[in-house]
Amino acid sequence: MLWKMARRNILRQKRRTILTLLTMTGGFVLSSLAIGWMDGSYSSIILFFTNRRTGQIQVHGEGYLANPTLYNTIDDYEAIGTLIDSMPDVRTWAPRIYCGALLAVRPHSESSTGIFSNSAGASVIGIDPSLESEATSFQDRIVEGVMLTNSGADTYLSSTGSILLGKELALTLEASVGDSLILLSQAANGAEADKRYVVTGIVSTGNPQVDGKTCYVTLDDAQTLFALEGRIHEIAVMSHSLGDVDGLTGRISEALDGKGLETNSWKTFASEFYNGMQADESSLKVMIFIIVLVAAMGVLNTILMMVLERRREFGVMKAMGTRPGFIVRMIVLEANIMGLMAIVFGCILSTAGLLFLSNHGIVIDPPMEYGGTVMREMIATITPDCYLIPTLCVIMTASLVSWIPALKAAHTKAAKALRTV
Amino acid sequence: MRNLTGVPTFSALLIFTCITLGQPDIDNLVHSLDQLYRSDNSYTEMTMHIVTPHWERTLTMKAWSEGTDRTFIRILSPAREAGMATLRMGTEMWNYLPNTGSTVRVPPSMMAGSWMGSDITNNDIVKEVTYEADYTFEYTSDTSFTGTPQDGIIYLKLVPKASAAVVWSSIICAVRIDDSLPLWQHFFDQHGELIKTVTFSDNRELGGRTIPTVMEVVPANKEGHSTTITWSNAEFDQGVDEDIFSLSNLQSGGTD
Repeated sequence: MLWKMARRNILRQKRRTILTLLTMTGGFVLSSLAIGWMDGSYSSIILFFTNRRTGQIQVHGEGYLANPTLYNTIDDYEAIGTLIDSMPDVRTWAPRIYCGALLAVRPHSESSTGIFSNSAGASVIGIDPSLESEATSFQDRIVEGVMLTNSGADTYLSSTGSILLGKELALTLEASVGDSLILLSQAANGAEADKRYVVTGIVSTGNPQVDGKTCYVTLDDAQTLFALEGRIHEIAVMSHSLGDVDGLTGRISEALDGKGLETNSWKTFASEFYNGMQADESSLKVMIFIIVLVAAMGVLNTILMMVLERRREFGVMKAMGTRPGFIVRMIVLEANIMGLMAIVFGCILSTAGLLFLSNHGIVIDPPMEYGGTVMREMIATITPDCYLIPTLCVIMTASLVSWIPALKAAHTKAAKALRTV
Repeated sequence: MRNLTGVPTFSALLIFTCITLGQPDIDNLVHSLDQLYRSDNSYTEMTMHIVTPHWERTLTMKAWSEGTDRTFIRILSPAREAGMATLRMGTEMWNYLPNTGSTVRVPPSMMAGSWMGSDITNNDIVKEVTYEADYTFEYTSDTSFTGTPQDGIIYLKLVPKASAAVVWSSIICAVRIDDSLPLWQHFFDQHGELIKTVTFSDNRELGGRTIPTVMEVVPANKEGHSTTITWSNAEFDQGVDEDIFSLSNLQSGGTD
């Protein structure tokens, strides 16, 4: 009886039903697109950031992240790298060495005195040119000069090595491509590590703070210079997508169990970036909440109008002895049936919208920069959240919001309602 | 040295105080600490033994100094470092690296960095500051800093003046009363936490004066690290060739 009446009521006044459905479906689609776009743009920023710099997962010696030292190394890194590379979801990997050093360049004006008086402290990163290029497209960040090559000659201390300087570091040192440079540091065996280099390129990561204190040499060269033969400090792992990261971190960690290594995802080693993203995400969640709230207000409004319109009808029902509870249940059921219909329509429309937004991103002009990561286009992704959250919202709105007008209808005074036209 | 001759009353009072307490004149004592290894000019030969949890090594070297602002150090061994040299003139510091045949200026930002991997910083080598000119000093009997007082030992508290660019905020120095030689120095930060301990031992006559020939530096926050300098030869106030403190000598690679 209840079902039958509710169904008939919905079909009876088609214009009213369509209006309510439009409001509900509109709310669903708006929330769904907002979530998809938010997830998509954040995923893009994170993937962009991790793909270009850190990798999504990193492996270090235990305790290295908390206290990075020259001595906390990964031995037998090639075998570990190959093992990680063979795992599904892993795109590629890259080994790295980190060490602090003093760099000094001879100023052009004083070249005759031979003193390397333009000096600055810097962080030296040893990279495998081919693996690093594959992993982070490193070669794309060379704004001047050429990429490092795996040249055997570089690995002798007595020979002249090749070095890439961060853009701002090169400015501090007043060095340009082709200049001779002295690197002075201390090797892991305590010996002084000094070597002559030629600047082969200038690197710009887009982050002046990083570029102001970073230089790059080949991994082999760094291993010889810092007496770290066969050892490295970091393995950066690139996964195919962000969705795999937590599971993959667990699998790598399991595979390397007992080797005295720690495996972390970008959420840990780039915690500052992660927290920044989280904070921004919260503010967008507030925005989505407001969109949902507006949609809910719309639903409340249409249902309220529907009840007012049908005042006479409820008056008749009451006069015929219908119990107030029945009227409440009937209105809530009507709202819920319409809610379900809105969800079905919403899902179809949202999928179409999300598919469009994920293929045709919105171009950001001028490009947005976030922590040295430059974004040119925002695209949406389709995640379960795009459907789950709007569905929950519509059902909850339909149930909760319809209670107020339903109660109002149930308490209609039959005589009074029938008197009004 | 502080000139107190113009203040006879104060001097008399000070002498009286010293005699009463059995304490040496604090100005003289601080001056002697400043001049301990330095004098007006000096030439020393020493070994530096560095211990870390990861490696241990010994360097031998020769050093020349003149006044408070000129120092020259040449490494003699081990082979990889032989010929390396450090020249300091005023606040400027250069390192000569024979491996690359180059001279590198040490920038101000690296002055707090370690010298040759030891627990001695570039700043320690460059230090122009003297206790006498850049610190305020007093005798102390605060046992929280000095530990249980020992007979024949006097404890000094040295506090750097604002002009002295140092990372510690006070030094407690234990000095033997009879020969004014230091036993140890404790360096504290602004929170009263110990930063490093320097101990002096093996007092012997070198270059016509008695000095502690062994100095050990132990940083408090780096477990397993220590640097021990042992003097094997020293000459004081014998005059030093001016050319020693030159960039050309620095780059000579060890023919001095």
